[in-house]
Amino acid sequence: MIALKRVGQAVLVIALAYVLVFLVLAAIPGDPVSAQLENPQAGYSEAEKAQIRSFYGLDKPVLVQLLISIGNALRGDLGISLSTSAPVSSTIGEAIPSTLALAATALVFALLIALILGFASQSLGEGRLGGLVRSLPTVFLSTPNFLIGLVLIQVFAVQLGAFSIIDPETAGSTAFAALTLAIPVSAQIAQVFITALDTTTALDHTEVALSRGLAPVRVFARHLLRPSLLPTVTVCGLVVGELLGGSLITETIFGRAGIGTVVQKAVTSQDVPVLQAAVVLSAAVFVGVNLVIDLVLPLLDPRLRAPREAS
Amino acid sequence: MTAAVLTTGDPSGSPEHAPAGAPAQAGSRLRGLRRLPLTVWLSIAVLLLVLAFSLAPGLFTSADPAVGVPDRKFTPPGWQYLLGTDHLGRDLLSRIIHGSASSMTSALIAVAIGVLVGGAIGLVAGYAGGWADAVLGRLVDVLLAIPSFLLAVVVVTALGYDTRNAAIATGVSAVAVFARLMRAEVLRVRTSVFIEAARLNGGSDAYILIRHVLPNAVRPVLSLAVLQFGLAILTIAGLAFLGYGDPPPASDWGLLVADGREHLLHAPWLVIAPGLVIAIVVLSVSRLSRFIDTERNR
Repeated sequence: MIALKRVGQAVLVIALAYVLVFLVLAAIPGDPVSAQLENPQAGYSEAEKAQIRSFYGLDKPVLVQLLISIGNALRGDLGISLSTSAPVSSTIGEAIPSTLALAATALVFALLIALILGFASQSLGEGRLGGLVRSLPTVFLSTPNFLIGLVLIQVFAVQLGAFSIIDPETAGSTAFAALTLAIPVSAQIAQVFITALDTTTALDHTEVALSRGLAPVRVFARHLLRPSLLPTVTVCGLVVGELLGGSLITETIFGRAGIGTVVQKAVTSQDVPVLQAAVVLSAAVFVGVNLVIDLVLPLLDPRLRAPREAS
Repeated sequence: MTAAVLTTGDPSGSPEHAPAGAPAQAGSRLRGLRRLPLTVWLSIAVLLLVLAFSLAPGLFTSADPAVGVPDRKFTPPGWQYLLGTDHLGRDLLSRIIHGSASSMTSALIAVAIGVLVGGAIGLVAGYAGGWADAVLGRLVDVLLAIPSFLLAVVVVTALGYDTRNAAIATGVSAVAVFARLMRAEVLRVRTSVFIEAARLNGGSDAYILIRHVLPNAVRPVLSLAVLQFGLAILTIAGLAFLGYGDPPPASDWGLLVADGREHLLHAPWLVIAPGLVIAIVVLSVSRLSRFIDTERNR
């Protein structure tokens, strides 16, 4: 029952996000179709203009357009791009694999960096080195990701030739793009992870494990990691938003043809249907991932399971 | 957990104690000032310097940010041009200094929108409860569901591209986090004994909200505001980098990096210098925010 209610809430939020984005974008003063039609050199007659406008549904009031758009979206029809006239679903569909590869690789990198920072924070103690490790997440979060991306390109592609900037879809280029995206994201995960580790380290069972003479790596893996995973998994859901939003800049810098680039082109050409679909898709992915994490967490941690009589 | 309990049980929360408690607190804050960590002093120095850049750029550089010396183009950093020159021979340091005001004002506008709009939503939702809470809660859920940078991009697209609108868009994207925090704080304070007492004394809802609920909920919100100021600088720089701010010859920091990007291969300082300036300023703001946070929880 609780799970069903959560799913219902998630669907409602996605639907409302669709409406909100639609209404905000309806405030755009012009659109590419009208700009094209009003261009005197194009030489459309009034009748042709009216016909084309009604084809794109631009002649109706905003609320009617919204209802039509929702109806079409429910049937899986996301409309037609105003700038390329291709179906929005195929424009978005073609871009998904690239962004998925980028975001998934970035998440793996971010988790690895957070794991290393977490282990270092517990084994280096309170000294100068430990303090340095603990301040790294703030440094990562404060550095603009376009700076990280451009420096990586300058150093590794231009000076060392480690990857090619001509072909953005090679493994090397994807890896460095993912690293760009991963650094701020790893910081968010590491902050939560380190706090959770600190809490666990202060517990008695850790002290017992250490006094039994276990090696620090073993204590970390056997006794610290699992109790500290809960908040860490939760924050992994939240960083999906950063991964999707950050892909906009990262894909632009590395020249990748993903969702971020689609968004950027749609913004430049004021292509409302494409922008609408890409943004709502991102929101849906974000909400979906967090819903799954919410539902899965009790499986990871018995302390979260509802008492039997309550369910 | 203990921190939350201590703050709710704090006697200064009661209206009678509040005026007497305030000077004592100010005193302990002044004493604390003398043993600030070195990094906090550095952060304050950086922010004061940027503030000075914004208010009086002419004091720090005599070079014109918009006019270059063509045969001096792409001069690497050195004694004459501390941070080098760009493709038109303009002094990069001067452009960064003259871009401070716009970058700082934008971030301030963004945070102001976040605090005021988000704070108002959270205050009403938390205090009124019921239908208002349900409706505003859904709105906040929706705003949180859209990745914040994408939300900012959508809003700036609808408003039109310039730096002021980029600032407003960044503020809109931050509304939800402020609303959520404010609501949580109001819910925490609302059930306190002194609120009950004020209501028994016949205080109206508006009076209780402004006189008792708001002052008690405001400190964590301010601490978040400092953190969000840093994030707003990053978001606005990102929007400017993508070309959604003022066009050149404006010299917003994000725009400087975007301009320099075309010359990355032979003049990397055009990207690295303004990028590092952004990083250092945001790092200083984050350090201050974390310091305020630990002081508050002490």
